[in-house]
Amino acid sequence: MARYALFPGCVMSTEQYGYEVSLKTVLPVLGVEIVDLEGFSCCGEPLKSINQMLTLTLSARNIAICEKEGLDILAPCPLCHLALSETKRILDNDPKMRERAASSLANEELKYRGTSKIYHIIDLLHDIIGLEAVKEKVVRPLSGLNFATHYGCHLIRPSEMGRPVDSENPQKMERILEVLGAGSAHYPEKPDCCGGPLLPVHPETSLTKTGQKLKAVQDQGFSGMSLCCPWCHKMFDSKQKKAGETVGAKLNVPVLYITQLVGLAFGIDPGKLGLELNLSPVDRILGGQEEAGA
Amino acid sequence: MSVIDLNSMAEAQAADRQEINERLQRLREEVSDHCYQCGKCTSGCEAHKLLELEPHRIVALLKKGLIDELVNSDIIWTCMSCFKCKERCPQKVAPVNILFALKNLAVASGKQIPGDFTAMLQSAMEKGLIQDVQQVNTRAGETRTREQMGLSPCSKPEDPEKFQMTIMTVAMEKV
Ligand code: SF4
Ligand code: SF4
Repeated sequence: MARYALFPGCVMSTEQYGYEVSLKTVLPVLGVEIVDLEGFSCCGEPLKSINQMLTLTLSARNIAICEKEGLDILAPCPLCHLALSETKRILDNDPKMRERAASSLANEELKYRGTSKIYHIIDLLHDIIGLEAVKEKVVRPLSGLNFATHYGCHLIRPSEMGRPVDSENPQKMERILEVLGAGSAHYPEKPDCCGGPLLPVHPETSLTKTGQKLKAVQDQGFSGMSLCCPWCHKMFDSKQKKAGETVGAKLNVPVLYITQLVGLAFGIDPGKLGLELNLSPVDRILGGQEEAGA
Repeated sequence: MSVIDLNSMAEAQAADRQEINERLQRLREEVSDHCYQCGKCTSGCEAHKLLELEPHRIVALLKKGLIDELVNSDIIWTCMSCFKCKERCPQKVAPVNILFALKNLAVASGKQIPGDFTAMLQSAMEKGLIQDVQQVNTRAGETRTREQMGLSPCSKPEDPEKFQMTIMTVAMEKV
């Protein structure tokens, strides 16, 4: 069984439990073992505006913790995935930076080696486990549903940093949805930001961005939104009501993690996918799915 | 040391200023050679319509060497770090990286850190994570903890004091 260290990051591990629960339920069905480790901190990406060296140091220590166990890393949060990938790129290529990181990490008796690879859930499902293997486990296809996909800025850009998906028109989530039996039409607002990174400084405007994208999705008649970032989910799902107020719209868009959709298509009980924690009207999806499966 | 005084950290970071300045000078040389002010970065900028951020103007001001003005302006804090400007620039300039460097310099110069960034930083330095573990709501209006969701306790730095040492060496490092 393939094993990965789960790097949970701050947002998933402190509030976005639906993502963690669903991926821990779904991945073992696909033959992947997820290992929890002690000692992690923030990846540093949310603090990049404060001090970029801090970001590098925090990411380096988190990678070092996984390397000590000899495990590759699953970072389900796109921000974490970017911070860890960028840090790895810098430390693997710049001996001076590596030396600086080494002296910081020595305080906790940690050492960066450069031996662990870093993956996102989309890599895992699409490329490593593979679409065929996912398809084999589908027992309740998500027929008749059409999702707007949202990847999260940090997963698609900057392409120079080797992101898991294409920067202008990512398609991997679309292909995953396809093997689950669901549709996913293109929409012009697809590459737009959820507004989340602005939340600490301009909360109102941040929610306006969220509301604008959700309204576009709603107006184009999608059954819901499928995503793979805990920050984006926090904006589009947890804060959907407030976001609607900022754009003067009554929003009713079911928002689900791709891992929750995979679980539903596998016929897994919604209670094991953390679906009670989605605050958007996901019952519509669950209801339709039960009919389709019946 | 359990509570970290952010002001003293800003002072300690004075040593960092020179490094960030050098980073900005390098960026300045790069943009001076490459940016031809086509405005493509601004036309796709996520913060442009709502907050009037104009990345091509940030680049132009840096080109002119107006770093102090930029560091003191609130506009640098409107960037959403969506990386579209970097992705779409035909000249491989990265306004987003210039903005990160400017914000870093503002902080290292002891300017007040805006909004919730202060709380996030404080929490990260004390507990390792930008926020505390939360009890969350269900759609039916009940509450759930990590434990109730069947999840193991949140992973955190095992020895907070040593962890703080790791971070403080960054903040106080002399380059
Ligand atoms: S897109 Fe690039 S070249 Fe054009 S104005 Fe922006 S930074 Fe300059
Ligand atoms: S990264 Fe910042 S400056 Fe660049 S396009 Fe996005 S919001 Fe605008």
